[in-house]
Amino acid sequence: MSELALFLIRIGFVAVLWIFILSLLSVIRADLYGRRVISRIAKQNAPGLTAGSAANLGIEDVEGFDPSEIAVLTGRTAGTNILLEGKKEVLIGRAPSSDMVISDEFASSMHAKLVHVGSDWVLQDLNSTNGTHLDGKRLTTPETIRPGMTIRIGTTTFELRS
Amino acid sequence: MSNVSLTSAIPMLLKAVPRSRNFEAVLLFWVAGIHAFALAQIQLAVNQEMSIDLMGYWAPPTIAAWILHYVLRKHALNADGLLLPLGFLLNGLGIAMIYRLDLAEITNGSTQLFAERQVWLSCFAMLIAAAIVRLVPNPLVLRRFPFLAGAAAVVLLVLPAAPVIGRTINGATLWIGVGDLSFQPGEIAKILLAIFFAGYLVSRKGPLSEIGLRVLGMRIPSAKDLGPILLFWVASIGVLVLQRDLGTSILYFGLFLVMIYTATGRGFYVGIGMVMMVTGALVASRLFGYVAARFDSWLDPFSQENYSAVGGSYQLVQGLFGMAHGDVIGAGLGSGFPQLIPLAESDFIFAALGEELGMAGVFAILATYLLIVYRGLRISNTNTDEFSKLLAMGLSFVIGLQVFVVAGGVMGLMPLTGLTTPFLAAGGSSLLANWAIIALLLVLSDSSLRRKAA
Repeated sequence: MSELALFLIRIGFVAVLWIFILSLLSVIRADLYGRRVISRIAKQNAPGLTAGSAANLGIEDVEGFDPSEIAVLTGRTAGTNILLEGKKEVLIGRAPSSDMVISDEFASSMHAKLVHVGSDWVLQDLNSTNGTHLDGKRLTTPETIRPGMTIRIGTTTFELRS
Repeated sequence: MSNVSLTSAIPMLLKAVPRSRNFEAVLLFWVAGIHAFALAQIQLAVNQEMSIDLMGYWAPPTIAAWILHYVLRKHALNADGLLLPLGFLLNGLGIAMIYRLDLAEITNGSTQLFAERQVWLSCFAMLIAAAIVRLVPNPLVLRRFPFLAGAAAVVLLVLPAAPVIGRTINGATLWIGVGDLSFQPGEIAKILLAIFFAGYLVSRKGPLSEIGLRVLGMRIPSAKDLGPILLFWVASIGVLVLQRDLGTSILYFGLFLVMIYTATGRGFYVGIGMVMMVTGALVASRLFGYVAARFDSWLDPFSQENYSAVGGSYQLVQGLFGMAHGDVIGAGLGSGFPQLIPLAESDFIFAALGEELGMAGVFAILATYLLIVYRGLRISNTNTDEFSKLLAMGLSFVIGLQVFVVAGGVMGLMPLTGLTTPFLAAGGSSLLANWAIIALLLVLSDSSLRRKAA
């Protein structure tokens, strides 16, 4: 064996050992951070929606709908109403500090929010675990609420009424 | 993905888990390749040619590892997928290194060979591990007999001091033997002790962590609860006196401290235990000549007096020189002079590997140990019942502490002790004990998933 070949073998062995160890790190990575999930929902919802920025997002304007309350249809708090008058934003979630508290095991602590844009209310999901459903469709981007639409979070459904 | 609720997601995740078995198979292929590489490199470097002898050192352990893999597929589908390849990697590297030392011995005309024995002992240990996986359906079975396990451990510990079968090798009374066969019962005792501690602490957790007098802001448990700890401290010092081995007593006491700390979550035990251990070791270093000699060799290995003394620092210094020769990438397997270190095939195999694989190789080996311990701690963390948690913690800690004590001793970080390097060192008892630990961890990791699914 030539010196060079032995040298290459020598380097090669240590390299193979390390490649083995490093390949195991891929498993451990999943341990520490969980598996990589590419979330379209997270990306599109990422910019915080405020009354000012909503117009730029091209959210449509619905004429002639000016709701004054949230009516809870099903769930633990069914039958209750929450007044919208004078509010700019309604935070919905399990956290006691939310404007609308949903005591439902499928709700995240900060689940979704309603934002008053012009004369409309826009619903945005706040990267909740189980999603916010607007008329049966899972919300991926902020959407304007139209008359008669029902919103579902976990087992709680509610709608906006004028 | 649109309607994944929490309840439907759990079975989906569980279904994905047996991936670990396939991953394990891929890793086993890889590790077998690494072993073949190592053996071939050794033959090329030492004999300048490859011979079919290689198969005798490569094939049997590989087959044994595949048998263990098969048993896991049959009986523990969800067990951890990394432990077997990691243990197998170290075991094979150990065999390769011992084979390399044998080749050097043959050149020197010596007939004291270890590699072939090590090959068969490895196979035996892996098959025992397979049997454990097969026969222990649920780790909670082990919880039924904590005191039996404890008593068995004590018997095994005392056995080497018994007449007729007890053996004293290199000043330490750690072996029993009949004829040519010798065995180190302490290796098995550490597993039984872990089982005993786990069983005992699960039932005594409350009193140990909550009841007691408050003194100086610390809550000191009552004598009834503290008693066993003191008893155990005395016992581990007793081991030190009886068996003349510092490492073993550090290992047992350390295992005890970690498990009691894990069970109670109270730093008090660790603090008081460390103080007791250090005091014990210092007193021992004054009282017993052999401990004092170890301390001297550690503090000043390069002094002429220690270097030339019988049982002095000669071995340690040879190891340090070897590792220095190894540099960053090592001399290359088969190209160094590890045979110059006394006991290079057992106590100092770490230094021998350090010379031939270099710092890069030693770090890879330490990373492998780290991964084994990490998997063990993860198993402890994901288990739901206290007993399994404690047992997994204790078992993985035993491996970690042993590596620390051995590597620390060889590198001159702490006094040299008589512990074995897990999986690497020549010796059947150690291989058997460490593969049994891996088997128990595999069983623990499997049941944790099964129980969650139920």
